[in-house]
Amino acid sequence: MPVKTIATMDIKRLEILSPDGKADEKLLPKISKELLLKMYRLMFQIRAFDERAILLQRSGRLGTYPMITGQEATQCVPPLCLKPADWVVPTYRGGGVYFARGMQMRYALLYWAGDDRGTHFPEGNNDMIFSIPVGTHLTQVMGLAWGEKLKKTGGVAVGYCGDGTSSKGDLHEALTFAGQFKLPAIYIIENNGWAISVPRAKQAASPTLAQKAWGYGIEGIQVDGNDCLAVYKAMTDAVERARSGGGTTLIECETYRMSHHTTADDAGRYRDAAEVASWAKKDPIARLRKFLTAKKLWDEKAEMLLARETESWIDAEVAAYEAFPQPNPLNMFADNYAKAPRALVEQRAELERLLEAKGGPEILTTLPPAEGRFP
Amino acid sequence: MSKTTTATKELNLVQAVNEALDQAMAKDDRVMILGEDVGRNGGVFRATDGLWKKYGNDRVVDTPLAEIGIVGGAIGLAINGLRPVAEIQFDGFMPAVFDQVVCHLGRLRSRTRGKMSVPLVIRAPHGGLIHAPEHHSESPEAYFCHTPGIKVVIPSTPHDAKGLLIAAIEDPDPVIFFEPKLLYRAARGEVPIESYTVPIGKARIAREGTELTLITWGAMVQTCLAAAEKVGRSIEVIDLRTLTPLDLDAILASVEKTGRAVIAHEAPNTGSWAAEIAALISERALLKLLAPVKRVGGWDIRMPLFRLEKYYIPDADRVAMAIAETLAF
Repeated sequence: MPVKTIATMDIKRLEILSPDGKADEKLLPKISKELLLKMYRLMFQIRAFDERAILLQRSGRLGTYPMITGQEATQCVPPLCLKPADWVVPTYRGGGVYFARGMQMRYALLYWAGDDRGTHFPEGNNDMIFSIPVGTHLTQVMGLAWGEKLKKTGGVAVGYCGDGTSSKGDLHEALTFAGQFKLPAIYIIENNGWAISVPRAKQAASPTLAQKAWGYGIEGIQVDGNDCLAVYKAMTDAVERARSGGGTTLIECETYRMSHHTTADDAGRYRDAAEVASWAKKDPIARLRKFLTAKKLWDEKAEMLLARETESWIDAEVAAYEAFPQPNPLNMFADNYAKAPRALVEQRAELERLLEAKGGPEILTTLPPAEGRFP
Repeated sequence: MSKTTTATKELNLVQAVNEALDQAMAKDDRVMILGEDVGRNGGVFRATDGLWKKYGNDRVVDTPLAEIGIVGGAIGLAINGLRPVAEIQFDGFMPAVFDQVVCHLGRLRSRTRGKMSVPLVIRAPHGGLIHAPEHHSESPEAYFCHTPGIKVVIPSTPHDAKGLLIAAIEDPDPVIFFEPKLLYRAARGEVPIESYTVPIGKARIAREGTELTLITWGAMVQTCLAAAEKVGRSIEVIDLRTLTPLDLDAILASVEKTGRAVIAHEAPNTGSWAAEIAALISERALLKLLAPVKRVGGWDIRMPLFRLEKYYIPDADRVAMAIAETLAF
């Protein structure tokens, strides 16, 4: 019997906007001027926010913070292709995703300041809190998509993960189910080159992560993740496919983590400055700015105005974040169950007694009011 | 200690872990390290700092980011004659490896009627109070103590960290080795320069006393020593060092002497290892007790984000109050 080739794999990579801001007009998606400007604005603002958050952390006004810089296109663009009722679960490095979904960034700061009140999304959005043990949300995203399919809503569910997380079994199980049940799910691998200190090459031996899709019978594509137009095109195609019953798409966005893993990391220990510099030339924001400028949609004056407006916006968000009083310690007992069991009622009372023993009988009246549902 | 040495140097706890790994690798070329960021970066807490440079890619391995891959792979390596030391980067990532631990790690010796063993060490940081993000401050020891066939160790001093880790690597059975991350740099002490072991399964009397036995482990040992000072009574503090197999002799000897026991730890009390210890004391020493055994632990809720962690993990005041109540019973 001859050995026959029974299937071959074909993996495509999409690039539309070159690093010098020139677009391939043949591939250019239909996109309004307003949406282009919105993309630019979101990416510009989240970068400035990121820079401020790092300063806050360095001066002791914020806890450990995961930087977004370099990944603005992969984070800010996909939400623009979705409706508020579509589900989105980013990674912990997902501030740009939440921002593009309309989150007030004071809450992002509050979360990274170690305050549970930071889990706060816009009313009406189906945003979900990310998962810190990486990848554990990927099967849940499959379930969210499954629910949309069963309820016939036309809704989709989007789950992000990193190149590191693509090594976890969770992705295998998520894609297996999503392919099997032809679910309206979209998985975005933000391949930013590094899983803390481990480079992409040390994850899968395959040349792309997009090709993983092939093993599950779903669509897969690699895009230049610093090219917001390519991200937009791949995402709108995937959303259309999902909404029209065509099933799941895996989009590998090749981007770069320009900063440390978090403020607790020192990337200088394990990667070359030359590599970082080479990626700086592919910056997603500068790239769109050049494109917009060439199209006479942007100029220095607009840039200056945006910078000024962004500074005031960040000042206001930081002020709002810092205006939150320290949380009432009793808050932690709220919302653990629909109805708190006896043990929690007793333990909360014990914490009240402990607080009084330490702070005096008036302490409970001086604390900010307890928040959340209890019992 | 199996061997006494005179020459010592001052190390912190994470340096002691590093030295144990280094000496174990130098002594036995079957010993290898695998985990996330353990190589070039030297681990996120620097526990493996310098070892990749010294021992190379095959013995200090930056794995893909996949905890089941790390632990399942390490089980295979251990069965096949290697002596792997797997690092799980944070306590909050330990649940990912549960299937391998519960269904295989602790059972393979028994399932193969003793033909196979899994001489594997899984190291993981433990506990809270370092203002870390969510899932980085957990105390999951009870899940592992509940699992037959494995040993669970948690040192609280640099001396014990080095000696217990070398003992764990030399142990013929699997050992989960928790490292209190609050003490990585905060705990400093004299550590013998030579390789040595601290026996697994032996507790340490961290403070002698006659009126009450305070049983604890991990970073809570420091809290308990402070609490014992605070109450100004004769409190005996036992640092368990090994959670399974438990040093019941040491616990019972102390409780029979003092007649009172408080157990302090970071995890929620319900179903905790403190609950098991309290049950054992009640079963074995009831008639020596002058007061009910008291547990001081986290509340029965998830670990909150760090702004409230100091209200979740017992502090010296809370432990001191438990001591006072037990003494006054």
